[in-house]
Amino acid sequence: MVRHVKALVVGSGPAGLTGAIAIAESVGDGKDVVIIDEGIEPGGQLPKQTHKFFGHEGFYASVRGFEIGNLLVKKVKSLGVEIIQQATVTGIYEDVITVYDRVNNIVNEYLADYLLIATGATEKFLAFKNNTLPGVYGAGAVQTLMNQYKVLPGQSFLIVGAGNIGLIVAYQLVQAGAEVKAIVEASSRVGGYAVHANKVKRLGIPILLRHTILEAIGKDKVRGAVVAEIDERFKPIPGTEKEFVVDAICLAVGLQPNVELVAQTGAKLVYIPELGGYVPLRDENMRTTVHNVFVAGDLAGIEEATTAMIEGYIAGYNIAQELTGKSFKEKIEKMKKELEEFRRGPFSKKVRDGLKKMGIVFPEGGYMEEQQIDKGPLGKLRAVIECPQAIPCNPCETSCPTGAINVGGNINGIPQIDYTKCIGCGVCVMKCPGLAIFMIQEKDEYSLVGIPYELLPIPSNGTKVKLLDREGKDVADGEVDHVALNNKGKTHIVFLKVPKGFEDVVRSFRILAKSEEFICRCEEITKEDIERVIDMGITDYEELRRVLRIGMGPCGGKTCRTLTLQILSEKTGRPVSEIELGAYRPPTMPTPFEAVVKSVLTENSEVSENIPGGVKDE
Amino acid sequence: MSEVKKYDICIIGGGITGTALGYFLCKLGKTSVAIFEKSYLSSGSTGRCAGGIRQQWSTRPNVRLAMRSVKLFERFKEDVGMDIEYKQGGYLVLSYSEEEAEQFEKNVKMQREEGLNVEILTPKQVSERYPYINTEGLVMATFCQTDGHANPHKAVIGYAQAIRRMGGQIYTHTEVKNIDVANGKVIGIDTTAGYFACDIVVNASGPWSNEVSKLVGVDLMTESYRHQILVTEPLENFFPMMAISFSGNFYMRQTLHGQFIMGQGDKDEKPGLNFNVTYKFEKELANKMVKIFPFLKHVRIIRHWSGMYNMSPDAQPIIGASEKVKGYYYAVGYSGHGFMVAPAVGEALAELIVFGKTLHTDISYLDIKRFEGQVLEREKNVV
Repeated sequence: MVRHVKALVVGSGPAGLTGAIAIAESVGDGKDVVIIDEGIEPGGQLPKQTHKFFGHEGFYASVRGFEIGNLLVKKVKSLGVEIIQQATVTGIYEDVITVYDRVNNIVNEYLADYLLIATGATEKFLAFKNNTLPGVYGAGAVQTLMNQYKVLPGQSFLIVGAGNIGLIVAYQLVQAGAEVKAIVEASSRVGGYAVHANKVKRLGIPILLRHTILEAIGKDKVRGAVVAEIDERFKPIPGTEKEFVVDAICLAVGLQPNVELVAQTGAKLVYIPELGGYVPLRDENMRTTVHNVFVAGDLAGIEEATTAMIEGYIAGYNIAQELTGKSFKEKIEKMKKELEEFRRGPFSKKVRDGLKKMGIVFPEGGYMEEQQIDKGPLGKLRAVIECPQAIPCNPCETSCPTGAINVGGNINGIPQIDYTKCIGCGVCVMKCPGLAIFMIQEKDEYSLVGIPYELLPIPSNGTKVKLLDREGKDVADGEVDHVALNNKGKTHIVFLKVPKGFEDVVRSFRILAKSEEFICRCEEITKEDIERVIDMGITDYEELRRVLRIGMGPCGGKTCRTLTLQILSEKTGRPVSEIELGAYRPPTMPTPFEAVVKSVLTENSEVSENIPGGVKDE
Repeated sequence: MSEVKKYDICIIGGGITGTALGYFLCKLGKTSVAIFEKSYLSSGSTGRCAGGIRQQWSTRPNVRLAMRSVKLFERFKEDVGMDIEYKQGGYLVLSYSEEEAEQFEKNVKMQREEGLNVEILTPKQVSERYPYINTEGLVMATFCQTDGHANPHKAVIGYAQAIRRMGGQIYTHTEVKNIDVANGKVIGIDTTAGYFACDIVVNASGPWSNEVSKLVGVDLMTESYRHQILVTEPLENFFPMMAISFSGNFYMRQTLHGQFIMGQGDKDEKPGLNFNVTYKFEKELANKMVKIFPFLKHVRIIRHWSGMYNMSPDAQPIIGASEKVKGYYYAVGYSGHGFMVAPAVGEALAELIVFGKTLHTDISYLDIKRFEGQVLEREKNVV
């Protein structure tokens, strides 16, 4: 049986969802709209995005991706739109549209008056030796496993590509508890936003520019990677190879529009590298060369989620206009204006250039480009903004309760802060999607630096930390003064006590790892472990040994015994000389059974009566 | 002069027996309890033992006592509040003698009657199940999955912490010098921390049981013998059970941490307190164990120590109240298996002290009276 719907939307990413919302709202009935989606849950890439989105609040700026997905899906469902999950549009035939329903294992047939195709993009792959080894992932797969299925696909990663996706995945991996050894980028500059790059750099993740991956190491799975520097022609320079011990390699080397379906409608494709390769030719209303086929989102040109949402609205209102015969010109114009505003900045240059080739012109410029030099009055608790690029984002401005922050007339403007108005509340720090705002206050003995923080555990007051600079390098020792918790937005502010003169240097910190304080290295027991057990009332060396296994490793306590006695002495106030030393037990070095067995063969096994061996240890 | 400190019950010995008893007394509301330990907690036999927990015994009452103990070990973490690395990895009992194997058949029949799930394995089944064991010379084996092992020192610490929480007292580094008896009744103890009045004294002093008992003039017929034990570097965990043999004279298990801990008895050992170690032990054990467990060949020994078996004439504990001195109790002579029965003994003895009778497990067969002119049934399942 053929199901006939007025509007069929393919894909439930941001573009598909807003398109469906626009149609359903305007038509007044959601049952005329059906969304077909391949995924197990709606939202496209949104459910995998745990970071806050840029933009302005009208398009959910400063809201985390998965939460935006939830909001849009809720809206779509409340309008009565049906979303069919785990179903793939497998063909757009002359007679029908086929949808393979994977849940019921059946191909269903559809007819639609209008099609909105929002099939997004697929990841590009990269050719290198052993790239089929298990452990080589695309960034989308890593995000799906980590953020959707809650499985961390590796412990230690090399990331290839320093665009926004590579940078974001690196940050998310660290949040999930993995280690990111490096990000390699073939180009001579970071492709993603500087604020994203700064976020990962200050965590200590190096970004190696002009580098590429040559080889994945391993037989059955990835155990390492070889990277090398490349010349101007992107050829590896011999002798510059470096090896990284990693168990996963994540490729984030770009996206290409998913044009299969739109091509099957007969719509004309054009090759425009600035938009990601082959894209459907379309007009400013998102209509392709086939009258009733519209496109939106990454399929129409690789960009990002906010513009995808706007394009979805534009396509949706246009479809609604034709379905109802009513004019939604005002809404369409408003959305076009939004697009224009968003696309004025330098990061939209590629998209502007690409669209120009289709005859669609977007203006550029018209925003504040000047970076503020004034860091505010010394001694005052205040925000310092480190947002060096013109990007379409303004939650700092809109969230400031005193109106102290201004990005200017266009959303791409670089924010400026008026220190006569800043009250040091920290709201902007918690709101900024780029985590690019810090708090500073100089005090008599030390200074406070407030760091936006989204990792676990949240350190407690007084925690000793290593203070790190913008590159993630240790610069000094400090401690956590206090933490301003943000339970709703989950961007907390950790206020650090830093030495005077380090206010402009410290931008990150590292909680001292256990490994830095081992007392017993064989059994990896720290001073804290020992003190915790002493606090339980266990104050004998032999007891500590048995509870903690301290000194019970292969070395037999050669280094840790004295240290433990000193800690016991400090904690209990008893001099070391009064603390029982504990037994020294043979053998003093680990001895293989085999060696002992051999000695039976060569020696008399009678116990010697003459040697007064043995230690009294009762 | 300051008032004399008084506890209803004073326990001598801060090992597993003393702390288990203290714990169950506190649980029954008797919190006027103090434990006196001359060194640190578990410094005697408990902290030196291998930590096996076995129910496969040759006499029926011992099986019952051990089964009750296992019930209490299973609940240890919830009841006492400490993770003691308890694991029911089973006990594989290996027999290298026809005579012993025949006895095992009878034992298993009796153990099964008591509700214990024990398997009998042929050497072929053993090598199929445990390919890393060389079964040369093996006659048969028995296996009980609910047997297991735990960390004895942590068990003592767990009990001690619980006793302190409930209001009991523990004096470490405090030696009992004398037990004060008047008119045939215990009235106090004299210690290096002063005099304490009390109504009841419990002797749980393990290796020192007969010396302590002599303070009240009671001969408990126990003698201490040195047993040696060694431990290897850690390997990945693959050996869940305790492997033991009475006829083969060894036992071995892998700790949660991965180390193999093993020992054997020595028939030539003379009675007396001796905490030294001999290389002879290492040589004999290494030779034997490498044959039976060839994987040990390249494994390294990292530590070797000794502890005491406080032996009774029939290799079973001596537990009860003295008829000669009122208020004097003893729980001694465990003959190398005090840790595994301690929860059940602690519970039973606490009940005996508080209610005058045991409620969960009958321990009357362990009273010293059994030695008065009777034929003893010696416990055979002892290394």
